[in-house]
Amino acid sequence: MKKTNFAIFSENLTKYYGSHLALENLNLEVNKGEIFGFLGPNGAGKTTFIRILLDLIRPTQGEISVFGLNPSKNSVKIRRLCGYLPGELRLDENVTVKWLIKYFTELRGDDSKTAKKAYLLCERLKLDLNPKIKNLSKGNKQKIGIVAAFMHSPDLLLLDEPTSGLDPLIQKSVIEIVHEAKNEGSTIFFSSHIFSEIKSVTDRFAIVRNGSIVDIQKTSGLTNDSTISVKASFIGNIPNSNDLKVLTNVFLKHSFSDEQTMIFQVQGSMSSFLKFLSKYNVDKLETTSEGIEELFFSYYSTSHLLCDQKDNISK
Amino acid sequence: MFVFIVFKHSYLRSLKHILGWAIPLLILGVITLPFYDLVAENEKQIRPIIRGLSPIIKSFIGGELAEEMLTPQGYISQRYFSFIPVMLGLFGAIAGSGMLVGDEEKGYLDLLMSYPTSRTTLFIGRLTSMILSIFTIILFGWLGLLIGVLKSDSLDFTGGQLILPYYSVFAVTLFFATFALFLSLIMPSRSSAAMTTGILVLAGFIVTSLSAAIPDLKSFAMFSPITYFQANAMNGLNILPVFGLLMCSTMLSILACLKFKARDLRIIGESGWSI
Repeated sequence: MKKTNFAIFSENLTKYYGSHLALENLNLEVNKGEIFGFLGPNGAGKTTFIRILLDLIRPTQGEISVFGLNPSKNSVKIRRLCGYLPGELRLDENVTVKWLIKYFTELRGDDSKTAKKAYLLCERLKLDLNPKIKNLSKGNKQKIGIVAAFMHSPDLLLLDEPTSGLDPLIQKSVIEIVHEAKNEGSTIFFSSHIFSEIKSVTDRFAIVRNGSIVDIQKTSGLTNDSTISVKASFIGNIPNSNDLKVLTNVFLKHSFSDEQTMIFQVQGSMSSFLKFLSKYNVDKLETTSEGIEELFFSYYSTSHLLCDQKDNISK
Repeated sequence: MFVFIVFKHSYLRSLKHILGWAIPLLILGVITLPFYDLVAENEKQIRPIIRGLSPIIKSFIGGELAEEMLTPQGYISQRYFSFIPVMLGLFGAIAGSGMLVGDEEKGYLDLLMSYPTSRTTLFIGRLTSMILSIFTIILFGWLGLLIGVLKSDSLDFTGGQLILPYYSVFAVTLFFATFALFLSLIMPSRSSAAMTTGILVLAGFIVTSLSAAIPDLKSFAMFSPITYFQANAMNGLNILPVFGLLMCSTMLSILACLKFKARDLRIIGESGWSI
């Protein structure tokens, strides 16, 4: 499929900050009109990826496009199509809310539709326009960021932990606004480390670990209780993907860098899979029902992180 | 259009800071100049004192030309204009280093750069705002001089004559501002760029002043922009040094713009050398 068919497309995207690797061969395709979740802890590379999309930083290598446009070459065009809410929102402290909103609408071209929507959103989020930014709470500052991101009805919304610092009532309003934007045809890229939020908001989500995507799932697929995640550690021979073809209900989801540990997804009965495993020398076997939390923690388990550390040392 | 929006907002939001520099400069002119009446009245007593000063001390009040302080033009150039380039040079260090990197370090630029403005637009808008800030401060300074002259009985200068040294002040200030701007984009932080420029301003002032008494320092003084400042320009401005400083400022601005376009925007707290 052509990359122009996707809202976001990245291939082997790598970013170094000096000697620190922030993104490593990140491959991602986000469809137009979907809400895509980006799940990972702090430092996993979520913000770095979003900043590359807006050409705030440039990739070290790899390819990236937004609606088929290269951010380095078409940054202004891309920014016109995007609304962005930074993870760590910082605003000019010495101006009033009204002053700032006016500045943002002017930078968006100052059309009356944008200004009208901005003030409607302020009203909806109960944002007082008169105080200076320095006198606002974290949550109220976040509301300004939400207004700034949504006011021009962008084609692509890049939301980096949008509900951070908000009270539950306003969180609910924000989630509603996100769904409304989707209904209007916007694509939403939603970075978060809150499982419930990813579950309730997104259509698909990716788990990011150490700058790479380790898994992409449909959110609806994870609500099925009959889906089980099996993590197996082997001694000696390990199964390969061809061996697994005989099992129609088992998929290899991830192979760890120690090359002896694997995660499988089993749908329905476990009996055929257990028979299959008996052919190998299995050292450890862990099973979890497939929820977002379980899936996430399976990639962030201690043994897994140790494998990564070993990998980094050998590099 | 976007350049104008960026320029307008940058200028308006820094108006308080600009007035913080401009009003004291205005007051300085209003207070300093009428004192010349006292100097003129007591010229016979002051002249032997100046002649008796050691060359080093004399170098800070004009060196061999120190006695010119007793003339109207000499008084204004030595009692007022001699340290204006230092004062505004420090303003330039702060304004230039903060033009982009100030907001970048605070994390404010991240949101601003997500709007459909190119880096060049943001750069030009902010540079124009900084230039107008310098111009505003100079305008207040000139007004202060004008009021001071009107209050004095012994001074007789026109507004046109009083503005001439300010062309030179403008060129020196703009040089330090663009120098600080360029440094801020390659050095690890805004504060390190401002500090380095500030040290250069002060060191330049000291070396230029001392070079009047210590000829060996003349070869160092030629590298200080303050050497090319014309405090005595009221009766005629040499346009060449002004033009030279403006050319250097233009070059530094172009280099800074290219660097800003090419580099990553820093994350809050992140910093590092990048040449």
